[in-house]
Amino acid sequence: MTTEIQVNGYLARLRASLTGMTVAEREDIVEEIRMHIRERSGDPGTNVEAALAGLGPADELAQQYRTGLLVQRARTSISPVVILRAALRWATTGVEGFIVFMIAIIGYAMGGGFILLAMVKPFFPANTGFWVGPDQFSFSFRLGATMTNPASPVHEVLGWWLIPVCLVIGSLSLVATTKLLQFLMGRFHWKVPFTANAHVRTAMMAL
Amino acid sequence: MAQPDHSTTEIESPDKWEAQMRKGCLEMAVLASLWHGRLYGLEILRVLERDSSLVLAEGTIYPILNRLRAEGLVESQWVEAEAGHPRKYYELTQSGRDRATRMAETWTRFSAGLGYLIEPVLKDRRVEQPL
Repeated sequence: MTTEIQVNGYLARLRASLTGMTVAEREDIVEEIRMHIRERSGDPGTNVEAALAGLGPADELAQQYRTGLLVQRARTSISPVVILRAALRWATTGVEGFIVFMIAIIGYAMGGGFILLAMVKPFFPANTGFWVGPDQFSFSFRLGATMTNPASPVHEVLGWWLIPVCLVIGSLSLVATTKLLQFLMGRFHWKVPFTANAHVRTAMMAL
Repeated sequence: MAQPDHSTTEIESPDKWEAQMRKGCLEMAVLASLWHGRLYGLEILRVLERDSSLVLAEGTIYPILNRLRAEGLVESQWVEAEAGHPRKYYELTQSGRDRATRMAETWTRFSAGLGYLIEPVLKDRRVEQPL
């Protein structure tokens, strides 16, 4: 296999794996890596194979680019979709990432649940509410429950106030989850762009 | 029976904090390497290796530079080089200089404090294991 075919094959795999960015961004990256290979393989005692080995597999290199940009976007975005994607990518790197992802899932599910409850209330007023009973209370949608009989063991207490209460709690949950995740990504962002098998073989810096 | 891959074992040793610490230093080291002027990717790798003994895999540097550019800490420019092919040079922005300064100050405070703390540890080790 000629060196040119090797290089072009590597760059084609890199290009195919660089998803989630514009064509201009992708070609800029590919061109920079092409120039790196060209210059590195010209060093004494080095060849194209060594230059490609130094870069690591093309899909892993692309993943580092994608994760870095995704986390950067998540730190400034308010879109739960973008933040969840970044949290999911982080979850693949270790325990901390998994915990953050669980925080994201629970926080957004809770926020979404409250807002959904507020939206359902006008259509099923008798089944949706804040239910209080002996040794229990919950916000939920209940089939067969009653909101009109306060003497019932489990009864609804908020009435139509449920809608604003759920909207406020739901919105606060979504905002708080987003802010918490952005804080965590900003605080630990240096850990995020690296996969567990990143090719890091650094020598220890002197303290 | 296959021989263990010592290079991999070294990277994934139980002392993961060491690898995490190195990763944590990378951003500061890359920003610091650009302090005196613009450099291209391979030059940054060589500067890090020469001046800090921080040797990293070549593929690691480019995603880091890309992220630093997205954060506005560095800016890049393609320049036609004497080598016969263009090179992508990176330069610190004002925001990057500010970040590098803050990181260097924090690092200096941290390492000075920790150095004082671990001095007895290293001193006792030298006594126990004379060279």
